[in-house]
Amino acid sequence: MARRTQIHVGLEIGTSKTCMVVGEIKADSAVKILGIGVTKTAGIRKGEIYDFAQARACLKDALAKAEDASSVQIGSVYLAVTGAHFQGVNNCGTYRLPDGEPVVASEHVEEASNIAREVPILRDHAVLHSIVRNYRLDGLEHSTSPVGLFGKTVESDFHIVHGIATRIQNSIKLVREMPLEVDEIVFSPIATAQMALDRDHREGGALVIDIGGGTTDYALYLNGAIAASGCIPVGGDHVTNDIHLVTGLPFSKADRLKIMEGDASSDLARSVGIAKLTDDRGFAEVEVERSILNEVIRQRLEETLKLVRARLPAGSVEQIGSGIFLTGGTSLMRGFSELAFDVFGRDIYRPEPPEVSGIQASFKDPHYATAIGLIRYAQILDTERAGPAGMFKKLGRMIWPFGR
Amino acid sequence: MIPYARDPQQTIPSSAVKIIGLGGAGSNMLERIALDGIEDAELLGLNTDARTLSTCLAREKIQLGSSLTRGLGAGGDPGLGQQAVLEAESEIRSSIRGRAIVFLCVGLGGGTGSGAAPMITRIAREEGAFVVVFATMPFAFEGLRRREQAETALNELAVLANALVTFDNNRMGELVLAKQGIHEAFTAADHMIGEAIKAVLRLVIRPGIINVGLDELMSALRTNRSRCLFGSGIANGKDRAAKALKNALNSPLLDQGALLKTAQTVLVHLAGGPDLTLFEIELLMQRLQKFVPADAQILFGAAIDQGMGDSLSITLISALPEDSLATSQRASLSHQPPENLIPDPIEELPSPPPRKPSATRDAVVPESTSEAEALPLFSAEPDPPKPGRHVASFTFTDDAIASETMMNEPEPAAMLEDEPPSEEFDTSLTPLDSASSPEILLETPVAPVDAEHPKLKLGIKSSGPQAELSLDSLNRGRFEGETPNVFEGEDLDLPPFLRKKK
Repeated sequence: MARRTQIHVGLEIGTSKTCMVVGEIKADSAVKILGIGVTKTAGIRKGEIYDFAQARACLKDALAKAEDASSVQIGSVYLAVTGAHFQGVNNCGTYRLPDGEPVVASEHVEEASNIAREVPILRDHAVLHSIVRNYRLDGLEHSTSPVGLFGKTVESDFHIVHGIATRIQNSIKLVREMPLEVDEIVFSPIATAQMALDRDHREGGALVIDIGGGTTDYALYLNGAIAASGCIPVGGDHVTNDIHLVTGLPFSKADRLKIMEGDASSDLARSVGIAKLTDDRGFAEVEVERSILNEVIRQRLEETLKLVRARLPAGSVEQIGSGIFLTGGTSLMRGFSELAFDVFGRDIYRPEPPEVSGIQASFKDPHYATAIGLIRYAQILDTERAGPAGMFKKLGRMIWPFGR
Repeated sequence: MIPYARDPQQTIPSSAVKIIGLGGAGSNMLERIALDGIEDAELLGLNTDARTLSTCLAREKIQLGSSLTRGLGAGGDPGLGQQAVLEAESEIRSSIRGRAIVFLCVGLGGGTGSGAAPMITRIAREEGAFVVVFATMPFAFEGLRRREQAETALNELAVLANALVTFDNNRMGELVLAKQGIHEAFTAADHMIGEAIKAVLRLVIRPGIINVGLDELMSALRTNRSRCLFGSGIANGKDRAAKALKNALNSPLLDQGALLKTAQTVLVHLAGGPDLTLFEIELLMQRLQKFVPADAQILFGAAIDQGMGDSLSITLISALPEDSLATSQRASLSHQPPENLIPDPIEELPSPPPRKPSATRDAVVPESTSEAEALPLFSAEPDPPKPGRHVASFTFTDDAIASETMMNEPEPAAMLEDEPPSEEFDTSLTPLDSASSPEILLETPVAPVDAEHPKLKLGIKSSGPQAELSLDSLNRGRFEGETPNVFEGEDLDLPPFLRKKK
């Protein structure tokens, strides 16, 4: 089958900005970004909608911009969602083959997978992703489905992301009101990881931390499979808010001060003197001691990274071989890499978006990592669906609680 | 609040419970139960073998057939065991009289166990007790004859007893790792039976929020000629409901829950500390539904037990018609290795056929001398009042177990090796023992940590009392009026700069 050019749209409704990316996947599976529509978000806090009408207006704006920029009429989007209510858990399902059936059949694997998917989730939660990590046959690891092999017990190891169903539904509703269709919902860090990590990184063990405006999303990959994911409801807004609370500056000034002058490293040399903001005429309107400013920022970000670290499975930081990949707007903070190194003691990277042609410059920007990651995710799903493995598709597609 | 007394009929005083260890295997189980700590239920040791009986730590002991076997064992002859019990019938009857529940622990296949167990069960039933029999089946390598003796006794017991729980010694390997010693394997098997007894006791003695009692237990086990399915699991920490259920299903008696598939009635009993949530129970029951047929009757009970700390225990009891299990058991007998290749350490004697009594005596004599060597070591300890006596008897037990299981190689060194840890164990037990709270005994590793935990948390908070004050008064800026973003006791919406300064 000759592949046609596919156009996918990634939509991230973030706490600070709504970002819609139109990407073209060419026949040779290269990705070209056709256009981006970005607008400042209102009505979202810590990744969750609190003012539906405002959020809708922002999305409308972003949609118009994206359609303008790309000259594509957008009909459906891949939607990234996040929020503190999302939880990533690993669960293992074990199925013992019935007596007299020595060979693993696909329904046995299916049964093991069904058992694995049965994580105890809260009643109001719904499963967003269930991703196969690996299979085990009598305790021996298999990275692909062991159908057809001899064995006694099949285990399948799943990573399951679940969140509060109604909030996910509201995100979908928001998009549907555009009106747009939702192709797929993706947990933000998983989308980001598609962009930030390649296969080698995942094999070597990598952690993606996406520090956005309102949330810090993370996804950990070990041995090629996802090992942990989650969201901490702390982000750049908190840094601004901290500066506001400590110094008494108004938000807008605190935010500018953070962006222009802030430094998260514990380097004392960078905390000397006074940070100033000048107005249009060159007069200083704000003066804050750097030592205080930097300390406020550093403590907040350090705590956030430590929270991420604490949430990772025990001993997994030591297994991170490839390094830690920082993305998101807040990761642009000066000295953040040093801080991250202090906390994790691993190599720190800002991911470079690979093989994306088009208006290159803007895609180096970690602000768009998640939205572009969605395009990649769509691409991966496309290839999976096109592939011959009908069963695999079924596995890849999760129990979809929202209809389509 | 208006205090009210619980209906006394709902619960059974622990004094109305009697645990009987019959024969060599039975007394081993009894010792394990005593060591693991049990409600102040009465323990009764019954044996034909005077030597084994003398080391048994049950408070009450009755020697069976003292004139018939003259203090020796039944020598693997069930007929002898049966006659022996008749000699002591009146004694046993008076000992059991008035008890509501009788647990009979017995290893089938030998003389005393197979012969006397049905008789004792009948006596207990005649005295009006609810009889739960825990029986172990002999190893396959012990031969067909012994197996048949066990099967015969089992068939009788299945009819006589209210409930019959069997444990096949062939499955002992599932309880421990392959490299672990045989000592540990037997301990694990005995421990499991002890756990089963404790679980049943917990069920009937402790009043629960959702109560289950003897009546439910009986209806769960009502099937005539049935084998009991039993699983019990304890877990704590995160996800404890799922873990506890997993542990319970791991019981070799349940075969990973596969045997529950055909159960008609399943009794489920949950016990947890005060932090047991309804949500957890729901989760657990939902998971359990997977293993139980949809039309099965589920008798559910839940109890709060302060002593459980943050752990949760689940007990599953059900019964299967006997024939559904029999086929698989026969299958394991298909190939029979030579008889008595390895003597069964759980039995009181390395049972040769009864035709060769001289061989039996030969086997006993060196054993008893080594025992005599070992005994003075401990009897040299003074016999102080109550708690002290316990110490002495506990020490005896370990020695007895060691000598029982190490029968093949009566190395004094091996016995001495067992000694110091057992004494340490005893001293740590003594104060708790005087408090006579077996739940705490059960949870010894958990309980102290629990008591510590809230204190620790408080400590963190109280280290900055000012911080706490300012938390309330502090403006939260942009996040004012939102639900607090609390993670591990800290409000993440407040600047760490302010939170941590103090």
